[in-house]
Amino acid sequence: MTDLPRSQHVVASGIIAAVGLSVAWISWTQEPAAAFVFPRLIATVFAVLAVWTFLKALTGRTKVGAGLSGQAVRQLAPGLVVTLVYVFWAAQAIGFYTATALTVLILLVLYDPAPHGRAGTWAKRIAITAGFVAVMYGLFAGVLNVFTPREVFF
Amino acid sequence: MDFLFYMGDVFAPVSFALLLFGTVFGLILGATPGLSPTMTVALMIPFTFRLEPQQGLILLGAAYTSTVAGGAVSAILLKIPGAPANIATTLDGHAMAKNGEGARALQLSFLASAVGGVFGVMLLIFLTPVLAGWALAFGPSELFWLAILGVTVIGTLDSSSVVKGLLSGCIGLWLATIGFDDIMGAQRFIFHDAVAGGINVIPALIGLFAIPQVIAMFARGRTDPGAEVIAVRRHPIGSALRELLGRKAPLAIGTAIGSVIGLIPGVGGQIAGLVAYDQSKKFSRESSKFGTGHPEGIIAAESANNAMVGPSLVPLLTLSIPGSPTAAVLLGGLLIHGIFPGPQLFTNYPQVVWPFINSMLVGQVLMCMFGLLIAGLAAKVAKVPHGVMAAVVLGLAVFGSYSVQHSMGDVYVMATLGIGMYFLERFGFSAAPLVLGLILGPIAEANFIQGSMIANATVGVWNYFFTGWMNWVLIAIVAGSVGYSAWMEVRSRRYTSKEEMLA
Amino acid sequence: MKTFIAGIAAGLIAATGAGADGHDSYPDRPVMLMVSYGAGGATDFQARIVTMTAGNEDALGMPIAIVNRPGAGGRVGWNWLATQAEADGYTLGAYNVPHFIAQSIEGGVSYSADDFEPIANWGADPAVFVVAADSEFDSMEDVIAFAEANPGGLTFSGAGLFVGHHIAALQLEKAAGVELAYIPNNSGGAGAMRAVIAGEVMGGVNNLSDAFRAQEAGTVKILGVFDTERSDFLPDVPTMQEQGYEIDDASVNYRGVMVPAGTPQPIIDRLAEIVPAMFENARVQSRMEAGGSPMEIMTRDEVQQMWSDRQETLEALLADL
Repeated sequence: MTDLPRSQHVVASGIIAAVGLSVAWISWTQEPAAAFVFPRLIATVFAVLAVWTFLKALTGRTKVGAGLSGQAVRQLAPGLVVTLVYVFWAAQAIGFYTATALTVLILLVLYDPAPHGRAGTWAKRIAITAGFVAVMYGLFAGVLNVFTPREVFF
Repeated sequence: MDFLFYMGDVFAPVSFALLLFGTVFGLILGATPGLSPTMTVALMIPFTFRLEPQQGLILLGAAYTSTVAGGAVSAILLKIPGAPANIATTLDGHAMAKNGEGARALQLSFLASAVGGVFGVMLLIFLTPVLAGWALAFGPSELFWLAILGVTVIGTLDSSSVVKGLLSGCIGLWLATIGFDDIMGAQRFIFHDAVAGGINVIPALIGLFAIPQVIAMFARGRTDPGAEVIAVRRHPIGSALRELLGRKAPLAIGTAIGSVIGLIPGVGGQIAGLVAYDQSKKFSRESSKFGTGHPEGIIAAESANNAMVGPSLVPLLTLSIPGSPTAAVLLGGLLIHGIFPGPQLFTNYPQVVWPFINSMLVGQVLMCMFGLLIAGLAAKVAKVPHGVMAAVVLGLAVFGSYSVQHSMGDVYVMATLGIGMYFLERFGFSAAPLVLGLILGPIAEANFIQGSMIANATVGVWNYFFTGWMNWVLIAIVAGSVGYSAWMEVRSRRYTSKEEMLA
Repeated sequence: MKTFIAGIAAGLIAATGAGADGHDSYPDRPVMLMVSYGAGGATDFQARIVTMTAGNEDALGMPIAIVNRPGAGGRVGWNWLATQAEADGYTLGAYNVPHFIAQSIEGGVSYSADDFEPIANWGADPAVFVVAADSEFDSMEDVIAFAEANPGGLTFSGAGLFVGHHIAALQLEKAAGVELAYIPNNSGGAGAMRAVIAGEVMGGVNNLSDAFRAQEAGTVKILGVFDTERSDFLPDVPTMQEQGYEIDDASVNYRGVMVPAGTPQPIIDRLAEIVPAMFENARVQSRMEAGGSPMEIMTRDEVQQMWSDRQETLEALLADL
């Protein structure tokens, strides 16, 4: 195992251990105690296992999980940012259908390997976006009567 | 043989048209992420207001049957389990679809569903009076032990490290406690408005399974030399049928487990698939292939979740108690026509009940035929370039999780869990045990609390939870399951790492 | 020039005036009704029936879609309605009294009766006391005699804490002067009924409509009604008062439609006019009757009165806890 995944494992299991310990601490201190009997049980096991995993990572005896390569992180970062903006801001602020159309188009531009310079590429991307949003609209708004947040444009 | 006498009614033109409509509509809605069988049937209820009772129930029966099977389509092709029943299907099904064997996976899934489903409905037809007692045999103590049994499955489910499997399960169990607790109404771990109502299982499922693969597709970058070489292999239906018949063990295990735990009120449908998958893996000679696209995984999971359909209606039809949320919705479908279920149901309303049951039987067959028809075409989804796929799956995940409760908070939960899960998976954790914890946590907790309240008022906690043959049997199985996991862990210690084991 | 400005000002006033009052086109899109119990529960089932004619021209002219937000005895859904729902008239909620009032008195939730505006009531479902068909108890007297011999040993189920069933249980304990073991069920009325039939508990408080069905199916006996008069569905079952326990109708489960406070008054008025008429629809009535769901249609004024009465009774009852 190279050093990079090992330090990554330490950080990842460290975060989990921190979550586990804080959950345990909250469960054992919160009232009413009657409502926290079960959480206490779970949180204790959670914390013990998490600390164990953390110690294993520290001593470099982690067996599974390949970690993240630098290249993977660079490649997923733009998509992840678009996802975060879409989910946590755009869907609510500019409406589901508008936000979905923009997101799909941006993701296609980012990750579709077809060359950017050709008109055909763009026609295809716009067609896919329009088709997808139309299907979503037909299914969720038409058939299922789902009320999505207001759209900015309509 | 009453059901044969009323078989003709199902094939009357209007009834059959409704049956066909229910099947196709059910398949489509079942394949829509976020739409569980319960919601699909609830959406169908208004259609039945205007129909004759018999026809309305034929529609509902067909829709129920096919939505359960329809969930496998999105599970296999997109790795989005539409309902808890389809979680186990994603594990091997999606792996097969990625290998270009989507057609084979879908065909096996529909065939296994039909076999399990027909068997389950047959149980409903012939053994209802016997099974009714069984449905009542599970009180709080038994359900508690059953949930604990489910928890013990966690360690061996889809994870190469037992400790990390258990830790994933613990995270799931903890997530399940967020929100108001179901009995006391106290608030727990509410650190953000989005989780004030607790974590809804369906958005969580969508996030945990669909989002990690979206990010994995992002990680492959814009130019991916290996991306477009997937050849979607055609697969003749005949050979799928032969393969199914050749793999009797997972089919039998799945059907049996689905039928038995489908009966248990409140628990069955959610975990039948996962338990059947786990058991088939333990009994299989090729257990190391599970999770990598092994047909036995699909067969076990899908036969189990459809076998549960028939038995899950036993408590409703005989005792008038809906054993599952879907059964509760079907009860509504009966009540609006003034039909009260109960022991006299079959004598008072044979012209309604038998066609209803028959519609589920015929629905299984129609669903299977229709499914086989679209399998080849649907499998072409694997050819979609990963950039397009990532965008489409992300959009579906957002719409699907929003539609469950029309809630933006559910979408936030979905995305947060999904993104977290991607990173956890990179470090050896897996989604299936986490989800199992999320589902089983509330069952274990509520039954533990109810059981202790009853016990404190009567015989005491020890006597309540540790005596009675049902408890003993369940405790013995729990001990066996834990022992098996421990043995597997010790045995795998001989290898220093999974990579070495594979090399 | 002055007249021009005045004209514009007048025009603006007219425009904004029309805007404040401009709910004539309401509703111009489908309306959502939030039900704080799961699909298939009694509240959900009845809500689906009573709203089925909403799309008719003489009603709203737009369909009402049911959205379920179940959890913690209704707290999850009502919390959402009070704090997060848009008060624009397109988000309605189904209420269950005494549930949400009792929960708001008990605390730990972000709503009270003031956070909601009632529209109309569609049903009233009293609580009843049930025992399994093979139980040795044949009257409330037997039940109380057992409870007196075994203080805290009589187990009986109900749909949760601080819901109608729990209120009935508290009233029974108080009226009979005994200590009972109330076991709240996590799967609502259906789960509580199952516990009775399976013999996990000795008795239970449940909805009259569900108990009526179970009695027809031969699985339970109904020993008493927690209401001031007998029910048309069960003319042979005596009320608690007739059996000598001073219990009023505080636990009767009233179901109806409300909106979050802050919804524009013209919309509230319009809904208050249309919705009760919608409940009167003959098709709605016949479906409700077929399902064994007792109807009781009340207008907005009547519901407001009922809410404030309940608030008072429940505060007194729960203060003793």
